[in-house]
Amino acid sequence: MSERSESDRLQRESWARRMVRRPEIGSFIVMIIIILALAVASEGKAFNALGLKNNIAIISQLGIIAVGAALLMIAGEFDLSIGPMIAFAGMSIALMMKWGLPFGMGEATPFLAFLITLCMTLAFGWLIGNIVVRSGLSSFIVTLAFWFFLRGLTEVCFRLINQNTNVSGLPDFKQQSWFADLMGGEVFGWFFSAWYWIGTKISAGVEMTGDMTREQTIAMIDYLSFLNINRKMEMWVTGFDARLLWFIIIAGAAWFVLAKTQLGSWIYATGDNKESARANGVPVDRVKIGLFMFSAFCATIFATCQVFDTNSSDAAKGMFKELEAIAIAVVGGILMTGGFGSIVGVIFGAVTFGLVANAVFFIPWIDGAWFRVFVGTVLLAAVFANERIRKRITGGI
Amino acid sequence: MTQQAYMRVENIVKQFGPFMALNGVNLDVYPGEVHALLGDNGAGKSTLIKILSGVHQPTSGTIYIDGKARTFRNPRDAASAGVGTVYQDLAINQLMSVTRNFFMGRELKSKFGILRMDEMNQIAHDEMLKIGIDFSDPTQAVGTMSGGQRQTLAIARAIYFGAKVLILDEPTSALGQKQQMEVLKTIKRVRARGDIAIIFITHNEIHSKLVADRYTFLALGQVIGSGPKAEIESQDIRRLMAGGAEMKDLEQELAHI
Repeated sequence: MSERSESDRLQRESWARRMVRRPEIGSFIVMIIIILALAVASEGKAFNALGLKNNIAIISQLGIIAVGAALLMIAGEFDLSIGPMIAFAGMSIALMMKWGLPFGMGEATPFLAFLITLCMTLAFGWLIGNIVVRSGLSSFIVTLAFWFFLRGLTEVCFRLINQNTNVSGLPDFKQQSWFADLMGGEVFGWFFSAWYWIGTKISAGVEMTGDMTREQTIAMIDYLSFLNINRKMEMWVTGFDARLLWFIIIAGAAWFVLAKTQLGSWIYATGDNKESARANGVPVDRVKIGLFMFSAFCATIFATCQVFDTNSSDAAKGMFKELEAIAIAVVGGILMTGGFGSIVGVIFGAVTFGLVANAVFFIPWIDGAWFRVFVGTVLLAAVFANERIRKRITGGI
Repeated sequence: MTQQAYMRVENIVKQFGPFMALNGVNLDVYPGEVHALLGDNGAGKSTLIKILSGVHQPTSGTIYIDGKARTFRNPRDAASAGVGTVYQDLAINQLMSVTRNFFMGRELKSKFGILRMDEMNQIAHDEMLKIGIDFSDPTQAVGTMSGGQRQTLAIARAIYFGAKVLILDEPTSALGQKQQMEVLKTIKRVRARGDIAIIFITHNEIHSKLVADRYTFLALGQVIGSGPKAEIESQDIRRLMAGGAEMKDLEQELAHI
């Protein structure tokens, strides 16, 4: 008999081949295409200082909830209650800021309002998780029930306490409260300082090359306006929305947990084959309950940033956000059946979705509803691509 | 045999309501030996394994480990007593890497739950090499492995985590010829270590002859024959496999139709 064994049939692959075979490659390519297409179609406006700030804001916003949805999907469960959870958390914080703490416990500070709200949303997450693991029902149906329950509860609370389903014109808490500023303020101001500094140097350089006419110089500076040379002081941007910081923290933590820790291994094992994970001693139920709570946590961060950024909230907040979060996770390469996926892919997915959702602001001639046409198309393509990946990994045909 | 049985099962009875699944089963397993457990479908093999691995509790009877009577309230009890069971479905996750499967639920970690991935890769590779497969890249997903290799992974895992009695539940069924041989080789290698007792459940007479040192035949919940290889003749094996029926009788029965 020959000395060859079964394992010899697996060839070691080069670095480049490995990169191409990575599950994130599809979402990465789609992202690059969208970035380029948007840059061309908006004549660079989408990526000038203000464009970048606005795009990053929506990318971060979607990214925060998509990470929560993605971890849960890797563990094999869905959460349709993300959107209503956002509305509930936003309502809770806004009402406390306007009407004070519950049961007449006095004035609310932003941090206290957030903390009390977080306790409630985590309790809901815990409850959803417990119902799912104990009943064995599909999380799709359980969280759909909570979709209605929380949407209704939010509206009822608004009417009972506020006589109106929206709160607007709250004072700007960012001035006095470090916490409100941390959630709704701005971060990474140095980035734009550097950006302008480079812009100024370049425009100075353009002016100093004397062999251009005055018209040519102005045209050149105009052309370079994506660097926001900012002669006209019309687009002064002082920083990114604080959401970006939260997106980085949450995505970074999720990446670390998935790739490097025992908990990450347990999340994959839970979603791949629950029974074999349990047989090997993985606390499957606790993993799932914890992730439902994490999803609720992400929704709460989303809502808190929104309330302290806009100083308002209403009962319709977070509409369709659960579906967008799931769509981003799928486009990012998370399998619908669980057990596989990476946070890097989800980040690419969030960038793609954020840019397309915002594109209407930079390309005036486009109808905003194309966003959904795009989402539908990409989603379907992603599901097929993911299925291929799954078959390749499991050796199926 | 001067050696003491590592695991000794005495008079195990298991009833599910009115149904007598096992009716007084005895079994001795010795380290460094392969004990083939044979029997037709419904003979009670699965029930016996589940009792030995702590999934079910016997209605009566005793399990002795190293001479001491033990009761297994759950699979964890059995595992800590050194009983490692490799089920047919192997409890393996296809999408996860070899290493993550090897350490599933029992990961090596440092502070803050961070995995010691390099160390785990090394151990998974070395342990599988010991019983016969050199899987060059333990970060590869299990989905890329053959059925025989998966079996080896599950066996290596059970041994690494302290199995002294290794229960293999029909490890050769649902495999191709060549892979069946791979699994039998693996069983031989584990046997050669000398410190592990193997209970090999199978339907396949030929496979049992190739590796077994000792036999126990079950039919309708009872032991209908047992003993070391030397004492059991080849014809006996065939007869006992068929639940005690003589080949001639079977031929006659068939001829009547």
